[in-house]
Amino acid sequence: MFLFWLILLPIVFALLGYLIQRKNLQLLMVIAQLIIFGIAVYSYIMVYRYGAVRATLGYDNSFIAISLVADQIGSLFVMLSCFLFLMMLIYNYHKHYMNQLFLFLFMVLQGLINGIFLSNDFFDLYALLEVATVTVAVLIMFKKDSQSIYDGMVYLLTNLVAMTFFLLGIGYLYKIFGHLDFETIKSLMPEIKNPRTLILPYTLLITSIGLKSAIMPLFSWLPRAHGTPSAPSIVSAILSGLYVKGGLYLLIRFQDTFSYHLDTSKVFLVMGFLTAVIGFIFALSQTDIKLILAYHTVSQIGLIIFGLSMGSEYSYYGAIYHIINHAIFKSTLFLTAGIIIEEYQTRDIRQIRGVFKRMPYIAVIMIIAIMGITGAPLFNGSVSKYLIQKGTTYSNTLEFALIVINLGTIISFVKYATMLFGDHEERYKVRLNQKIALGLLASITFIGGLFGQHFVNFIFHQHIQITPVSWLNKTIVYTISLTIGILFYKYLYKKIRFFHTMREIELTFNEIIYSIIFFFSGFLGYMMIAF
Amino acid sequence: MGLLSSFIDLSYLKVGDPLDFISGENIGLVLFFIGIYGLLARRNIIKTVISLGIIQSAIILFFLTINYEPNRLPPLGDVTTATSVDPIPQALMITAIVIGVAVTAVSLTMFISLYHHYGTTNWLKVINKRRDDT
Repeated sequence: MFLFWLILLPIVFALLGYLIQRKNLQLLMVIAQLIIFGIAVYSYIMVYRYGAVRATLGYDNSFIAISLVADQIGSLFVMLSCFLFLMMLIYNYHKHYMNQLFLFLFMVLQGLINGIFLSNDFFDLYALLEVATVTVAVLIMFKKDSQSIYDGMVYLLTNLVAMTFFLLGIGYLYKIFGHLDFETIKSLMPEIKNPRTLILPYTLLITSIGLKSAIMPLFSWLPRAHGTPSAPSIVSAILSGLYVKGGLYLLIRFQDTFSYHLDTSKVFLVMGFLTAVIGFIFALSQTDIKLILAYHTVSQIGLIIFGLSMGSEYSYYGAIYHIINHAIFKSTLFLTAGIIIEEYQTRDIRQIRGVFKRMPYIAVIMIIAIMGITGAPLFNGSVSKYLIQKGTTYSNTLEFALIVINLGTIISFVKYATMLFGDHEERYKVRLNQKIALGLLASITFIGGLFGQHFVNFIFHQHIQITPVSWLNKTIVYTISLTIGILFYKYLYKKIRFFHTMREIELTFNEIIYSIIFFFSGFLGYMMIAF
Repeated sequence: MGLLSSFIDLSYLKVGDPLDFISGENIGLVLFFIGIYGLLARRNIIKTVISLGIIQSAIILFFLTINYEPNRLPPLGDVTTATSVDPIPQALMITAIVIGVAVTAVSLTMFISLYHHYGTTNWLKVINKRRDDT
């Protein structure tokens, strides 16, 4: 029954904290987080040893009852989520806006995210996602800045529209199968004689999950929500690092459930590539450091979807390992960006100079995270990118596509790293709790790369060897890409007017809805032709 | 449909009855797309929230009628599963109604504070004023 506690405990502690108005509320919450993290580790070990754990509430008949299932990947993500929330609370220990209401919403969000990773039922998922949407919208506009109110409102309404598609899709699934359980539906799949009946529910579900995970035409809500000026940096970090991964996780599960009849991995391969490319083009054109990071999340999600749909076992594991890695270094980057914005009082990358001189500790952490995200050898991003690349060996085009994506990442982070250099006299003093949290996250980025192959072998029960020759190969490719990136940024970037026009693009609400309908009808049309 | 057939004798219509098209399921779908049209074409934020409400009711109608069969009892009290309608969609829809109410309330509350900041109900005007701010 410990699975239920992973969802309930954060909410119970949040309520307790809200009711007991104590002075040292933060301490209580950190202790609560430690307990929850302990349970998450315990559940991961149980799942690792004895296979998937199933917990059923209500009747023992699994068809009707609400049940939670923790499989290998789900329990791993729950552990990741609990770890990140613990880090966030340690990091923000001293902030004055961490009042009861904020902590309440934040911890409830943790319970909901854990629920998304553990849920085994379509309707439970609907309820969890809907409540999580509301919670996130309130967290985005927590400081009640006028800009963030607009961002929160657009976030809320677009996601609500997506969830109506989800609910309609569930209705069709129930009509066809009479069940809403993932496993039951998967086991009933062979009974379906005509796969065309599944097209409509599948398209409806993919549209909503595509919006949640920010696939190509549906990502326009994400940068605004994740990079909104006044949202607390821990909220941005959790949203970009973890919450989007909920959408990706559901995408993995839906593809797994429907793959018997509808195998759409080829479309997702193309869409993943386009998402990655458009993501880094947008990231390059921005000047706001939070928006650069937010668009970068889109690009990395494209890379992950690309890896997942490659159809090779290696790239599949690589993509899942990359989800974890991305959660770690992207949240690190958002936290450091938050400190930099606070210190410099600006978000414009052209005005921030001399971070290295002014706050060396933050700068070192930032460099480690950038090394991770660009896939420098010996950092965790390189291991996952190496595994994704290993899956491309059967096709040169795919390998080339991957190099293009990584080159884009490197160029945009060359731009991001320009703020490190320059002169500055003053020294900024980093607080101890922030030092601990950032140091832990950065060291995981490094350890995850150094012992990456052991981690992958441990998590997926594999025997993957990364030879010194491939490390050397990777180092050469990385150095060449880095040189091209620096040269491109130095000599070409400022001459291209295209990026200025890209920066101005911002879709209105109606246009975002239009893009949802466009995606839906396009995908439906493709499915009608292909199946 | 029951009301209509009691006024006009439609018993001579066989399979492929055009009025069969007017089922809760299809009306639900039509309403769903009316709501989508409202979201696409209306720039008024209040109308956006209303369109979402229409979509929610459409989905509720859709769910309640997907497994409908004539002459079944409501799943209340002592009825066996053989004679009652499928209770699961109804149970799900109660939850969906509760969520829908909460969500509408949250969006309207947010709209009020947006209105206090920008003084308009139009999406385009809000985005233009927002650009001027930065």
